[in-house]
Amino acid sequence: MLPQNKCPPEIEDYVSAQSLAEAVAAMADGQGSALAGGSDLWAQKDSGNGRMRKRLVNINRVPDLRGVSEAGGVIRLGALTTMTELLESTLLRDKVPVLAKTADRFASSQIRNVATIGGNIANASPAGDAVLPLIGLDAQVELVSKRGKRSLPLDSFFRGPGKTVMEADELIAAVEFATPPKGFHGVFCKSGPRPALEISVVAMCLTGILKGGKLTGPRLVFGAVGPTPMRCVKTEALIDGKALDDALIAEALAIMATEIAPIDDFRASKWYRTQMAQTFLEAELNACR
Amino acid sequence: MDKIIEKHSMIGKRVTKLDAPDKAVARTRYINDMVLPRMLYGKILRTDRVHARILSIDTSAAEALPGVQAVITAKDTPGGKIGVLRDNPPLKGDVVRCIRDEIAAVAAETEELCDEAIRLIKVEYEDLPTVFDCTSALANGAPIIHEDRPDNIAMEQNFEHGDMAEGEAQSDFVVEGAYNVHYVTHCNMGVSCTVADYDTDGRVTIYTQTQYPFNVKMDIAPSLGVHPGDVRIIQPPVGGAFGSKLDVYPYEPICVFLAKKTRRPVKLIYSREEEFIASPTRQPVEFKIRAGMKKDGTLTFRDCDSLLNNGGYTSWGATTPYVTMRTMTSHYTVPNVRYRARAVYTNNPFAGSFRGYGNVQATWALETHMDKMAEKIGMDPIAFRLKNANPPNQITPQGSNLGCIDLVGCIEQAAAKSDFLAKWHANNKAWAEPGRFKRGIGIATSLHNAGGAKIHKSDGCGTMLKMDDYARVTIITGGSEIGQGLDTVLAQLVAEELGVPMRDITIINNDSALRPWDVGVHASRTTYIAGNSAVRVARKARDQILRAAAAHTNMLPDMLDLRQGHVVQAETGLALMPLDRILRQMHFAGAEAELVMATDYYEPPSEPEDANHMGDMSAAYSHAAHVAEIVVDTRLGTIKVEKIWSAQDVGRVINPVGLEGQIEGGIAMGLGYGLSEELKIVEGKVLNPSFRDYHVMTAPEMPELDLTFIETGDAEGPAGAKGIAELPTIVIAPAIGNALYNATGVRIDHPPLTPEKVARAIAAHKGLLG
Amino acid sequence: MSLTHKITFALNGKPVRADADVASSALELLRGAFELGGTKLACGEGECGACTIIVDGRSRNSCLMPAVDLEGREVLTVEGLWREDGIDPVQQAFVDEGAIQCGFCTPGMIMQTKYLLSRNPDLTAEEAERGLEGNVCRCTGYKKIIAAAIGAGTGARD
Repeated sequence: MLPQNKCPPEIEDYVSAQSLAEAVAAMADGQGSALAGGSDLWAQKDSGNGRMRKRLVNINRVPDLRGVSEAGGVIRLGALTTMTELLESTLLRDKVPVLAKTADRFASSQIRNVATIGGNIANASPAGDAVLPLIGLDAQVELVSKRGKRSLPLDSFFRGPGKTVMEADELIAAVEFATPPKGFHGVFCKSGPRPALEISVVAMCLTGILKGGKLTGPRLVFGAVGPTPMRCVKTEALIDGKALDDALIAEALAIMATEIAPIDDFRASKWYRTQMAQTFLEAELNACR
Repeated sequence: MDKIIEKHSMIGKRVTKLDAPDKAVARTRYINDMVLPRMLYGKILRTDRVHARILSIDTSAAEALPGVQAVITAKDTPGGKIGVLRDNPPLKGDVVRCIRDEIAAVAAETEELCDEAIRLIKVEYEDLPTVFDCTSALANGAPIIHEDRPDNIAMEQNFEHGDMAEGEAQSDFVVEGAYNVHYVTHCNMGVSCTVADYDTDGRVTIYTQTQYPFNVKMDIAPSLGVHPGDVRIIQPPVGGAFGSKLDVYPYEPICVFLAKKTRRPVKLIYSREEEFIASPTRQPVEFKIRAGMKKDGTLTFRDCDSLLNNGGYTSWGATTPYVTMRTMTSHYTVPNVRYRARAVYTNNPFAGSFRGYGNVQATWALETHMDKMAEKIGMDPIAFRLKNANPPNQITPQGSNLGCIDLVGCIEQAAAKSDFLAKWHANNKAWAEPGRFKRGIGIATSLHNAGGAKIHKSDGCGTMLKMDDYARVTIITGGSEIGQGLDTVLAQLVAEELGVPMRDITIINNDSALRPWDVGVHASRTTYIAGNSAVRVARKARDQILRAAAAHTNMLPDMLDLRQGHVVQAETGLALMPLDRILRQMHFAGAEAELVMATDYYEPPSEPEDANHMGDMSAAYSHAAHVAEIVVDTRLGTIKVEKIWSAQDVGRVINPVGLEGQIEGGIAMGLGYGLSEELKIVEGKVLNPSFRDYHVMTAPEMPELDLTFIETGDAEGPAGAKGIAELPTIVIAPAIGNALYNATGVRIDHPPLTPEKVARAIAAHKGLLG
Repeated sequence: MSLTHKITFALNGKPVRADADVASSALELLRGAFELGGTKLACGEGECGACTIIVDGRSRNSCLMPAVDLEGREVLTVEGLWREDGIDPVQQAFVDEGAIQCGFCTPGMIMQTKYLLSRNPDLTAEEAERGLEGNVCRCTGYKKIIAAAIGAGTGARD
């Protein structure tokens, strides 16, 4: 960064939380910034985007925020679950392979080793890849604060680039979703010639129950084509449970294009983002037939 | 027991780099790692305007910040300007002309303090009218960038040979094309860095990444107001250079001024963002080519006009036409040629030199154009190129003798190994077939200097050698090591002459106070010229040793040889005495005592271009042919390069490891140029100053490579070798563009072939764009 | 003066103490206080891999790791690979294969290779390429780096 554009944070306090109670207490006055893997927070540290508050709260040593588990038909990913853990977890590889597929295309090995689910959600980047399959899984995000605990659908969590419904005193504790049933189908597509180390110009996740060439209860989620990760509910409704023939796919592509809101910027034009989104969707719907 | 030692040549052996172990264990301390006692840090305040008058600069708050040792502005740097045309003041006091412009600089105890001080400097501007493209800058009434160049033309080159009207008259077909090549930047892993240190007597030591140490003394001294002899240049190990450090750039004199003002060593190092914004780029060019041919494919004339966006100041980018011209006039046999280049001032950032120089740009344009010409006449790309290939020993329109070249061999080998023609014909027929993914194959070739380029009064290199009592050899070379492997090749050549192990050779290559003169690392010259000088100095030492050994053995010197640390009888290999013993006998010989020391200055048999651009400017020339096979996603526009076949005339292989490394790395850089790298500059500002948005090749993107070395055996080169490092970067991009056409019938004239550009072109071709 | 925090961690097999600036990165601490210049600063944004270190068995970009988060961890830098009994097989493979030119990316490449081999000693070319995709090299074209990564793995198993 050029010196004149730097806005280094003024960190006045540092707390290394050893328990969830300590972490929540350190966040209670709304002056804490939670530190997990650091791959977003530290990369943006000097940018002056306002995410660094005056107290740095290191949550890496909070056991309650870790772990991948399944109980009562619900899979729970602690907020500190890394992309590498998504790739390496046998539970997830068996039951939710779309998460491993997404993690495999996330940044680089070094970043996957530290980037967390909680961080990817909290960062609220429109291009946050890991969020897409979780929305596709109807995941709930669990927030904790000194005031208590609340759970809300990840789908309604984002408000804009870098903006969420989370309050300043809240921490992401975990995400939870129902263990996908038999026949669950999930795919993740991402733009660019590189396998992973690529900021998504368009990313797509498509999920649903696939049987006999029909996708039931589909979720179609795009990244980087709007201010937040975007679900295409009209397209979902159109294809829900129907035979995916050429005519339906063509209609789905047309409707989807009206639901996304891509922009022109130096990374890609609106035309190309739409072209990519349609190419991904067409290929994946055809693959379902 | 008599010991017989066979001749054991080092040439052509796989040798690992001498500096590799230290780099692997991180013993190597790069300039970026340097810390001197009492060292301060320096930082530069750059403008945020692209063309503006500076009304005021207020540094008072910065100077008052505790820990700040100096703040300087233009009034503190009264020396001359720098750059090829001496048009660039190190700090700007009156007008800023591009986004890089340096306004002020600070020295402080820490980098963080420097940053804080920079933020306290207040500058007031009055914006001036701007201009960003060549055509607008040449128009009447365009904003004037430099008062003393009211036409905005920084440099102009013209050349004509033969009879253009006659060439036109002989032509059955004429093909025209326009090719605009883009901004790319070096992306050295080690960012720009310099450390300056003054002594009490007004002499300055500059630790810097320069590739041009002796010219830097000359070029930087006027801006500092010191005598060039009082400038000592030390080159610690660098993290890449690739041509970027051929010129003096403002940060170097700025750092010296900070050191002078504070009387302390000062280190100035860029951030990565600053590296992207403030480093020289490759020269962008707008080419127009008209070229004619007869029905049988014989080229009749070629006319090339080019505009170079010179940005706000003139660095080496403006001089790239000297190389571009060679390609446009001399690559393939063309009897009638004309070339014109104008470098035009604008408010963009400016370009420097970059591996391949103007030839990366020229070869993109020419080899794309050659493919179009072949198609026009219904010839395949191989036959058309072979028809017009330069023969060995051809005298080019600019008066170069191409010598022992083998363009025909390069083309034939690359085509045969890739099964080019069968694939090319099959792909051509598949254009109309359905399917999202299309396969293509393309070829391109290039001509480049392979024995330096005499752009100064001398293109020479000096070398000094000494041997100690233990037969250890020290070579003090004028040549510079920037990671390319100079030390290793010199040690190999010297080991060959003196019959000593490479590990017994120490290379000194980084201090202008010790080393004899050399031009610098550029123009694929270092192995050739520093290598020749090393061979010559080693032969002088060898002669000295053999004369002494002859006296001790009652034999004639030419009956003796040096092998594996011994003096041997040349014919039989019989070991006569260990090398270190004869060296000690020479040393401790009373009044006859002598040490083995030798010096050499090698001037290659090349000539500078005259005012009409005539002259055999390199001691050797060489070609390469690349074939690329690709798969195109016609929807997303992504190009997957599956395999590249490279055939290159290397003269002679000295070390296959180093040679492969240079070619593989050169191809990676050329792939980036053709496919993905682009410094996006809009209205003078850099939009993508990070590795996130400036896309260099990564490991999974690399195609399979098949390398063929063609050994023509240069009569002048060391062991027959030619310079090799630029060609692989030059030639690959148009091979991919030509493969895209073979795959899809869609041609893109302006690189890079980014996914969106390819997808758009294909969609437009199919009539799918509104 | 910025806020510092006392930390203790294991650095290349030895316990160490440091005063970590809470706003600084592990990279700055390692290069600064510990003079471990092998860990390179080349982008500072996690995009090039030159600063790769291994922390608790996992590779990461030290430029994106807050120095204070080193507390209690086991840290391996490139300097920790050269021991009294010789250089590491990965380092040797990089030398032997000609995988080093300017060498600025080399420590990061070696550390990431070391990590990849610790997870899978039998790397395929594709696995090595994917595993090293976060490490930029501007000199070599990667071919010899990949050969070194694969070769070092096979050697380690022999």
